[in-house]
Amino acid sequence: MRLNELSINDKAVIKKIHAKEPLKSKLLSMGFARGEKLKVLKHTLVKNTFDIDINGVNVALRNEEAREIEVEKI
Amino acid sequence: MKEIKIALVGQPNVGKSHLINSISGATLHVGNFSGVTVDKKEVEFERNGYKLKLIDLPGTYSFHPYTPEEKVTKDFLLNAEYDLILNVVDSNQLQKNLIFSFQVSDLNKPMVIAFNMYDEFSRQGGEIDNDKFFKLTNIRAENVSAKENFGLEELFEKVIKTYQEKNTPRIYYAETIEEEIANVKEKIKEINFDKRFIAIRLLEDDEDIYKIIHEKPWYVELVPQLKSSKERIRIEFDSDDVKEIFFEERLALAKGIISQIAKKARKEKFSEKIDKVLIHPILGLPIFLFVMWVIFQSTFSLGAIPMDYISSGFGAFGNFVGGLLPNGLIKEAVVNGIIPAVGAVVMFLPNILILFLGINLLEQTGYMARAAYVMDGVLKKFGLQGRAFIPLVSGFGCSVPAYMAARTLKNPKDRLITMLVIGFMSCGARLPIYVLLVSAFFAPSIQGDVMFAIYLGGALTGLIVAKILRVVLFKGEPEPFVMELPKYRFPKMKAILFDLWVKTKMYIQKAGTFIAFAALGVWFLSSFPRVDIVKEYSFKIEHIQNADKKAALKEEMNEKILENSYIAHIGKAMAPLTKPLDLGWKEDVALLAGLAAKETVVSTMAVLYGVGNIGDTSKGLIEKIRNSIPFTAAVAMIIIVMFYSPCVAAMSTFYAEVPQMLWRTFYTIYPNVFAYIAAFMAVGLIKIFS
Repeated sequence: MRLNELSINDKAVIKKIHAKEPLKSKLLSMGFARGEKLKVLKHTLVKNTFDIDINGVNVALRNEEAREIEVEKI
Repeated sequence: MKEIKIALVGQPNVGKSHLINSISGATLHVGNFSGVTVDKKEVEFERNGYKLKLIDLPGTYSFHPYTPEEKVTKDFLLNAEYDLILNVVDSNQLQKNLIFSFQVSDLNKPMVIAFNMYDEFSRQGGEIDNDKFFKLTNIRAENVSAKENFGLEELFEKVIKTYQEKNTPRIYYAETIEEEIANVKEKIKEINFDKRFIAIRLLEDDEDIYKIIHEKPWYVELVPQLKSSKERIRIEFDSDDVKEIFFEERLALAKGIISQIAKKARKEKFSEKIDKVLIHPILGLPIFLFVMWVIFQSTFSLGAIPMDYISSGFGAFGNFVGGLLPNGLIKEAVVNGIIPAVGAVVMFLPNILILFLGINLLEQTGYMARAAYVMDGVLKKFGLQGRAFIPLVSGFGCSVPAYMAARTLKNPKDRLITMLVIGFMSCGARLPIYVLLVSAFFAPSIQGDVMFAIYLGGALTGLIVAKILRVVLFKGEPEPFVMELPKYRFPKMKAILFDLWVKTKMYIQKAGTFIAFAALGVWFLSSFPRVDIVKEYSFKIEHIQNADKKAALKEEMNEKILENSYIAHIGKAMAPLTKPLDLGWKEDVALLAGLAAKETVVSTMAVLYGVGNIGDTSKGLIEKIRNSIPFTAAVAMIIIVMFYSPCVAAMSTFYAEVPQMLWRTFYTIYPNVFAYIAAFMAVGLIKIFS
């Protein structure tokens, strides 16, 4: 499943980053790496933008970018 | 004295600028979001017989740069001369920060780490053992707090020591990787960089490094080795992306080291709790609009309080100076030209300070980044992305830093669109014009709302224009939006007061120099030629005994001088163009002067409407304007000021940031055409409905 399919307060483990460069490096540098845990803190009304907690870092990203991150819900 | 040149690097928003300010008493702008430093800045100071020269580089998430400002940092680290790297790290985000530190340590330069924001970290129960960190990595480190000013002296002792010992980091990756690094390194012959560093970057597919080496004679022999090394790493780590493998390596290293040196802090729930409300899916947007409304409302209503005092102060000062100077041209120039003009500009200082304070608080608390998150959905509809929001809001303060802040946008199209509409976010210098016209023509009860409407209207128009530009000129999708939301922080009062003080000083300085000078020019142009008129009237005035009639004649004379002055000729030449907007020649001249600096619109009006003439206060300007120009003209003027070209300083910043002649030309022309058409339509509408 992909990150954009999660809902508020869902927790998940990252399986793979599908994004192409340079977005991939950007996501990696924010801490989105295989095996890392994340939590969905918030999303906007129509799930346009997400607020993700990854290792204590708050990152905002869009539906389009969230779709590139494969996760497994825990 | 020996100089140590120190490159200050770190991820965005770890407090690098803050650190510089704390050490040196400098006044770099500090905000709580990424992208405050977009160009490198230097500060010098002395410690223990050394001259330390700090170069503050833009925050960078990774050594694979993503945005133009991140590239500034990488280029500097690769190509500039420096003695030592000072890496600033946010103690609260060790893992994310250390990954970057390990990329930088590959450079094999003397390096020191500052674990900044340690005050916050230790308050939450965290601890860092930096002696152990030194043992593990051979990098000297110190726990510091730029905010509470501790650890800095110790940090610079370690900097000097590291410099003296030429002490470089020792960080090693997994065995397979180190073996392949060694294999690649062997094929690298003469080069100005550390060979291990080049080997690592080549394995990571760093294109900048490829560019440096691909013309070397030994490059041909390197290629097959590189290929087989990458292949082996891929197989060993069961992944198809060596870059990602290196990233994961550094992540694993960071985790391992953190577990040995740091005691974890309790999770801080404060930001999360506030965010529950402030970026609530439904309430987020209305809350943001309300916050902005409060800022503009208080700009107007609180700012009006000291206005009377300043205005009567300048009135009294004018009379006082008038009494000292002998009658003649100099007295006239000072009392009728300079003092009322400067007074009219300074009168609006409180408004500007309140607006500035509001924007500053948004930045420093961390709300600005949330606003970008909340607004992202809206901005996307207009073909922009949430990040563009930050330069746009900075534009309400001043367009110059806003143009620079647009560098945090990666995609050149996004950046150009954003820069083309920044001018529609009314800057602080336009505030006095709005306050003047709104005070004169709208009922007191709605003045604050009219102000808010002006700013909101400007912003909305900017977004619509952005959309049009996106559809017509810059086809394509907006860039990805990935942005860190920093923790909420209480702003440091001292820093804010200091910022306000600097702002005040600069404003008064500008009023006292540039504005005064411009006002003198306007006064001169509006008072000459006059010899014939003066001759004609002075004879009449002398022969009349009645004091009232004398005064009336004097005023008639001044009126006639003004109507025949040089400036009237300029204004009247423009008049046919602005006639459909109901603007008179005085307004034309004021708007023209506004191209130099927006404050001069008000000062020019003050001179042309002769505020100083009968010794009344600057506030009399509002009264005079109300009686002299029609409502439609006031509206036209407001609209033109909202949209037409910004000041020379802002325009030259744009030219510096955008090299293409085509866009420069477009930028120079279209806002003025747009402003004219918008004002024309508004005046037409008012006439139809009244």
